[in-house]
Amino acid sequence: MSVAGEGWHSEWVRRGLLALAGIVAVSPVFAWAARRVGYAEPLENAAEHTGAVAHEVTYSAGLLPDYTVPGIDPLLGTLVSAAVGTALTLLVVTAMARILAE
Amino acid sequence: MHIPDGFLDLWVAAVCALLAVGTLTYATRRVNGELTDARAPVLGIVAAGLFAAQMLNWPIPGGTSAHFVGGAFAAILLGPHLGALCVATVVTIQALVFGDGGLVVLGANVLNMAVVEVYVGYGVYRLLAGHNEFVAAFGAGWLGITAGALAAGLQLGVSEAFAYELVTTLSIMGAGHLALGLIEGAITAVVYRYVADARPDIFPGTPRREVSA
Repeated sequence: MSVAGEGWHSEWVRRGLLALAGIVAVSPVFAWAARRVGYAEPLENAAEHTGAVAHEVTYSAGLLPDYTVPGIDPLLGTLVSAAVGTALTLLVVTAMARILAE
Repeated sequence: MHIPDGFLDLWVAAVCALLAVGTLTYATRRVNGELTDARAPVLGIVAAGLFAAQMLNWPIPGGTSAHFVGGAFAAILLGPHLGALCVATVVTIQALVFGDGGLVVLGANVLNMAVVEVYVGYGVYRLLAGHNEFVAAFGAGWLGITAGALAAGLQLGVSEAFAYELVTTLSIMGAGHLALGLIEGAITAVVYRYVADARPDIFPGTPRREVSA
């Protein structure tokens, strides 16, 4: 294998972080548009069709339930959730990868 | 495709958890020693990109929406084992922090999205890549997510909450994601083409890997 030197990684990370910031920034627009069509996923359709909806239970809604922040505007909550989730995933997977690299 | 708590029988959730843990343990052993410290942030960026992309629900007139899941793309870009570990981390964070997908059924969600989708997607890619890499990436995204949905449909269909209506759950989940998967395939292929043009040497296990910068 003749993968180029490790220098490309830093450039890749710089571009990647910029792309992530861009995606996070537009996430409220997509959330707004999805709500406008009143969407339902196939899983929800199957649950509706078979009567399984009544069986759904929530043991933990999480700190940011359904990608919102309790008490603030839902679209702003989407933006905060996208930022928090993206940053958390970045940190956790980078740490995991560093451990695997040792 | 995130299954909430209460939808699966406990034995189904337990079997799925065992399969998911077993596969991820195997994946961890396979990648051991393959990673360099400098490459670690790249994995973080890819996984964070999967999370962020899943925040973008593309509305489809008629009352549905689709978002990029990215399991097949992660498998192509990172290899199936690292791809599975990255997607599993995303699914776990979604469940624990955002309540997207249940806790008792976390193993099932990891199995569907981080194992079935990733490995099936990668298998489709490897099968077709020798003919046309763009088509292979499209097929990987499309059939990977459909396979994950069928796995979820199977788990739901053998559970009491869904009245054991296996044919119904398989057909709704399979047909629904077979259609929505076209978008997954298209995004997978387009992003694959972009990355392949920018860094053709980044892909593991393909002839592109031999290209030097």
